[in-house]
Amino acid sequence: MELFLMTLVTGLMLGGIYALVALGWVLIYKCSGVLNLAMGELTLLGAYVSLSFYSLGMPLIIALLLSLAIGLILGILTERIFLDRLIGEPVLTVIMMTVGLSFFFRGLVEFIWGTDTRVFDPPVFSIQPVKIGFLVIGQVYLWSFLAAVVLLIVFVSFFKYTRWGLAMQATADDEMAALSLGISARFVYAAAWSIAFMAAGVGGTLLGNINGLNISVGYLGLLVLPAVVLGGLNSIPGAIVGGFLIGTLQNLSGTYLDHYFPGGVREIAPFVFMTIFLLFKPHGLWGWERIERV
Amino acid sequence: MSHMPCGVYHERYAQDHALWRSRFVRVKMLLLAVFVYLLFPLWADTYYLGVANMVGYTVLGALGVQLLIGYCGQVTLGHAAFLAVGAYTSTLLVLQVPWPNFMLRAGLAYPVSIIAAAFAAGLWSLLFGLPSARVKGFYLILTTMAAQFITVDFVITQYVSQIGGRGQAFSLPPGTIKIGVWTIDNDRRVYFLMAFLVTCLTFALVNLLRSKVGRAWIAIRDNDIAAETMGINVVRYKLLAFFVAGFMGGIAGAFWISNLAAVSPEHFPWSWSLWLVGVILIGGVGSIHGVFFGSLFMVVVMELLTLAVMSLAGVYPELLMKLNFVKESAFGLAICGFLLFEPNGIAYRWWQMKNYFNLWPFSY
Repeated sequence: MELFLMTLVTGLMLGGIYALVALGWVLIYKCSGVLNLAMGELTLLGAYVSLSFYSLGMPLIIALLLSLAIGLILGILTERIFLDRLIGEPVLTVIMMTVGLSFFFRGLVEFIWGTDTRVFDPPVFSIQPVKIGFLVIGQVYLWSFLAAVVLLIVFVSFFKYTRWGLAMQATADDEMAALSLGISARFVYAAAWSIAFMAAGVGGTLLGNINGLNISVGYLGLLVLPAVVLGGLNSIPGAIVGGFLIGTLQNLSGTYLDHYFPGGVREIAPFVFMTIFLLFKPHGLWGWERIERV
Repeated sequence: MSHMPCGVYHERYAQDHALWRSRFVRVKMLLLAVFVYLLFPLWADTYYLGVANMVGYTVLGALGVQLLIGYCGQVTLGHAAFLAVGAYTSTLLVLQVPWPNFMLRAGLAYPVSIIAAAFAAGLWSLLFGLPSARVKGFYLILTTMAAQFITVDFVITQYVSQIGGRGQAFSLPPGTIKIGVWTIDNDRRVYFLMAFLVTCLTFALVNLLRSKVGRAWIAIRDNDIAAETMGINVVRYKLLAFFVAGFMGGIAGAFWISNLAAVSPEHFPWSWSLWLVGVILIGGVGSIHGVFFGSLFMVVVMELLTLAVMSLAGVYPELLMKLNFVKESAFGLAICGFLLFEPNGIAYRWWQMKNYFNLWPFSY
């Protein structure tokens, strides 16, 4: 029982990070209809940028803020250069554009930072675990979770209460109506990409703090895809719930199924679960079911 | 359909339905065959043969992807999984099965294993095509991605690789791959096997696409609901498309082991699935020509890039170490560039050129 609870809590904390990255993904999809397969690479890029700043001797907060700024710029640039002209193109075109971007970014990251595992040195969080009741939790997990939750709240309230956020919501709801109300759709798209870059960067930094940073963090960034699919592609609460769900599921399967299927069951469990889930609920938990007409 | 050239008039329906409808095309195909089967292998050295084999392998893999994406509209991002299934089935059959002596002597083990591999990969692909009955679009893309991770990263890496206690990679001792009396042990022989398989599969696919099945696939691609109202069993044809694509992938994988000294899961990463999709995008979606153009373009560009990096290596030695990363970035940029500036792919340009000359000199 204790093991179960421990696994559950750690999974939830890990899930917080996924939820953050998934939020960025869903924002892009809701606002501009782009299905982004480059999320893993965005995580990598942000993580490496903040690692570089951190290695220069800055405190993590400053490094994170700087990487957020760079994420902002990169987001706007990516949207302007690559995706702006593809608005209204078929799904495959847009997806493959993000695939092309993912290859490009991955090559770039490997070119600049190499493929060796890098760690945040000196360690940001002390390795002394925290005891809450009978639960023993690594500090990394706890702080990552808190940071992720704070950012989630920031992003969601930005989306709900600020002028720009409302503009994004309007565009997501009905692009034509939003345009006629004087909202600049291009601005909204750029904003969505920037937020995605920033969320992914923070997520990547936190993930990099847990296990060190190498290319496989990009794979963890890919795990947001099952998360958003479980939640339903165009639902922000869905993405957050999906993120937590995937984190928990991953940890539980790592603990309990590894015994029966030794090897990488932890890595693929989310995908297996997603495939089976989709057979029963093809639109995820809260995704829109479109009624199609010929 | 492009226009017929000036001065070609068909008098019978059979002429109109023929695969090659004018004498010019027939002569062109004959010349192409002579070039592929005679002139090129006579002229080329090992390096060019190696490049050609790479092109052929890409074509074999991309044909299935083209069928799924370009003709049936089912986007797949996990095709390398089926290549892997084919390669592993074939390897296991060749290495582990105690073949009766007469079959070994006749060199039948490998050909039989290719067919078995094709069916195994086809059925495996069918399994992962099942969600296509319920889900569409991005959700389907994710299930094909799941196919990749489940097959290659889990089943093959963790379980299949354990068979026979050979460790991570299955080594293929020279001389294991035999067809009839020929041992496929050098690039030239691999080349002929490749040319034969590419010819067969291309013919099969082209003719399949001209038949009822192909038309049903195209109808599903264009509008699946409309297709259903016209009496096409959408689920069955989608699954058939998955099966055929997996079948071709299996053949591609089984072919590729003839070119490898050892088979390991690293030969079939997710990026290879994406690469195949990139190839058909660059070549042109929904065109068999596109498969060939895309494969040629990508492989040749990557080779040129390698040469360029090699020549720069004297000045920047560290560049050589990072060759793969440069290639990765270049591939990504190539996809982005094509999508932005040439969204219909190379095949469309080819089609335009052909049409221009078909009506020449009286084009509009």
